[in-house]
Amino acid sequence: MIERGEVAFGTTGRNHCLLHSGGRYCVTDQESAIECIDENLILRRIMPDLLELNDGLFVAVTESDLAFKERFLEGCAACHIPAHEVTVARALAMEPFLNPTILAAIQIPDGVFEPFRFCLSFLATALKNGATVRTFTEVTDFVCSDRNPTGVKIRDFRTGKTETIGGDIIVNAAGPWAGEIAAKAGVSVPEVPTAGVMVALDCRLNNMVLNRLNKPSDGDIVVPQRATSVIGTTSWKVEDPDLITIPPEHVERMISQGEKLIPTVRRVPMRAKMAVARPLIAMTGTDARELSRTFECFDHARDGVNGFVTITGGKTTTARAMAERVSDIVCQKLNHKAECRTREVPLTSYRFFFERQNVLKRRALAQLQTSDRPNIGFEERT
Amino acid sequence: MSTLNYSKTRQAARWFDVRRRKAGMWAYALNRITGIGLVVYLYLHLGVLSMLIQGQSAWDAFVGLARSPFYLALDVILLAGILIHGLNGLRLAVTGFGFSAGAQKALFTILMISGGIILIAAALKIFQI
Amino acid sequence: MLTVPVEIFRFKPGQAQRYDTFTVEIAETAHVIDVIDTVWAKHDPTLTFRRACHHSSCGSCAVRINGAEKLPCIVRLTDVWNGRNPIRIEPLRNFPVVSDLLVEVGDFFERMSAASMTITCEAEGFLPLTVDTFAVAGVLPKTVELPDNLSRFNRFEQCIECGICMSACPTMATDNKFIGPAGLAAIYQARHKTDDPTRVKHLLGLADGEHGVWRCHSAFECTEACPQAVDPASKIMALRRELALRRLRKMFGLRI
Ligand SMILES: Cc1cc2nc3c(=O)[nH]c(=O)nc-3n(C[C@H](O)[C@H](O)[C@H](O)COP(=O)(O)OP(=O)(O)OC[C@H]3O[C@@H](n4cnc5c(N)ncnc54)[C@H](O)[C@@H]3O)c2cc1C
Ligand code: SF4
Ligand code: FES
Repeated sequence: MIERGEVAFGTTGRNHCLLHSGGRYCVTDQESAIECIDENLILRRIMPDLLELNDGLFVAVTESDLAFKERFLEGCAACHIPAHEVTVARALAMEPFLNPTILAAIQIPDGVFEPFRFCLSFLATALKNGATVRTFTEVTDFVCSDRNPTGVKIRDFRTGKTETIGGDIIVNAAGPWAGEIAAKAGVSVPEVPTAGVMVALDCRLNNMVLNRLNKPSDGDIVVPQRATSVIGTTSWKVEDPDLITIPPEHVERMISQGEKLIPTVRRVPMRAKMAVARPLIAMTGTDARELSRTFECFDHARDGVNGFVTITGGKTTTARAMAERVSDIVCQKLNHKAECRTREVPLTSYRFFFERQNVLKRRALAQLQTSDRPNIGFEERT
Repeated sequence: MSTLNYSKTRQAARWFDVRRRKAGMWAYALNRITGIGLVVYLYLHLGVLSMLIQGQSAWDAFVGLARSPFYLALDVILLAGILIHGLNGLRLAVTGFGFSAGAQKALFTILMISGGIILIAAALKIFQI
Repeated sequence: MLTVPVEIFRFKPGQAQRYDTFTVEIAETAHVIDVIDTVWAKHDPTLTFRRACHHSSCGSCAVRINGAEKLPCIVRLTDVWNGRNPIRIEPLRNFPVVSDLLVEVGDFFERMSAASMTITCEAEGFLPLTVDTFAVAGVLPKTVELPDNLSRFNRFEQCIECGICMSACPTMATDNKFIGPAGLAAIYQARHKTDDPTRVKHLLGLADGEHGVWRCHSAFECTEACPQAVDPASKIMALRRELALRRLRKMFGLRI
């Protein structure tokens, strides 16, 4: 695994942290919604310690929101998302800062994750199973035989060294940069980097994820996390996902929309604001919001290039499913028979990712023979 | 991968590095400086006391010297060190066992102000002699 | 738009350390992380630094800004720039520097594991981030009284394992085995999450060890520097109190 920055340096690190239940997409994009609820349930099983599981509320603020309720409940039922309506009084009891004039509230099994540790625990598990992960290392070019990539040239930013590494199959999972990487291999991926702005507040104003009960739109969701509430998001196409300039009016829109869910929002100081690009797959739709949030795996054999696969689109919530899909394709191409087990295997502690270096160092010093459990040697006084 | 590590001396110098730090760190550094100062003084003191072995005249000569304004000023500095170290020690004894740890900054200010008052009073007294 | 000079610490294995100065064009409303990002994206892609969440949740971005440990993702540019001198950005102290702003965090995470830090905990009502945030906003923190049939809400721990407290601690500088503020605060949290006597004994034993709470010499810098209001210093002191009381009781033959 080659990553040019720290783990979660790209889109994943900076997203909205919502463990989707699929509710957001159950009317407009049912394929994504089903992916989300399935993965939501799997992640609860394999990383239970890494999630804030407080459910989410879809609340109707306006009459048109209220009119959406039936379609929403039908959508949830169609995508097997457990949803139930709660009384306004109860919603307000659970969420004291919620707009008191709401008309209806529906509870669904949303959750919150922490992206950095989310990625780290997947990678820690991979490390434990023999993977090599090279961070701060960039793929600069491909080595090809005819048109088929057989390896990549990489540069380690920490040491400045360059090398070439070979591979039977090369998987391009560069998110919004996937198009750029694919171009280096001489193929194109129909991808549209679509940015979104999020605003984090200086205190936490909700327990559960709060959504507007309507089609996805700008600033219609407030995700609480740790000690903040994060309002998001917007959606516009960008050229360069490396450096996104935040349009000031988007920040204002987050506040004014967020205010409809939680009126206190405007009075709380802003803690941070950020923008990052989604790797959306270009379809016929032109509006950035209309692009599907599902994922797609491209085997570039169809472009006449062998040994190169691109996986893109999707959500962080569906990351595991994306990995499953791409590994199945890789296995199939290599004629390797293996069952993907990531649905069942609980993940290793995220800290193992960083601790492993020390474990290896110490193992080399023959101080640590059998256990993978790191022990820095703090004595316990009895 | 070889990493950049700093020498032990450079690390130890951090005890006294109060740049951009808050009251707690000033207290920490002052405590260390006065602590070292007091240890040095203790040995000087023992050295001076050992003059008694050399008889009356050597001692009288020293006492004469010790009455000079320069020596009196040193006495004031010594007292300042004792006050800072002692009063701060009180603060550490209280906060160190989980009492009013949140009020450590206020405690530091109060104790240092009272230390200052005692010091001024004592200095006046010392120079009166 | 502002034109801001930044001075960034640079180091690559086998080379001498130095400071590079960059001049970046950036919006007035930017945070310091945006400045670092701009340097990386527009001026020098070989700059190595960490960041992920951009909102003080991952803890990976911690550096020293003008000498003080900060999370650049929540520090506004205008709060640290005086309009003239370059903003100086350096890696954390008390961590081995791998390259540029990147430090080796393996030992730190081992401490957190040893201290049994878990990332989720039960919510204690609404926790304001900075103590006076709610006062600024003119609202009172409300604690939620939940109906019995609803389970308690849960939360991620306040501590984001950023290592800022480790860098700010002067004692850490001279004892590289010191469990450190974050680790000891984690022990405190873990101790208060359990009633199991063997667990409690283990946790308190760890805190009582040679590199535990008694190593702390009360500079209180961890609490000053912590961006998440974890207040490790008070937690260390509370552990000490518990340990001291236990020892006293033992001395007088009382049952613990
Ligand atoms: C504003 C916003 C909010 C979102 N909110 C949510 C949410 O709440 N919940 C949810 O589930 N999903 C959410 N998403 C979607 C989700 O974040 C993304 O779909 C997902 O993170 C994409 O992951 P990825 O691994 O494909 O891409 P990335 O995470 O971007 O990974 C690609 C990696 O490739 C690296 N890379 C690029 N070029 C190179 C190179 N040349 N060499 C080496 N490495 C390279 C990059 O550094 C990057 O780390 C959100 C997206 C946006 C934009
Ligand atoms: S205690 Fe505070 S400063 Fe220390 S690691 Fe945790 S969040 Fe960072
Ligand atoms: S980037 Fe995550 S804490 Fe700053």
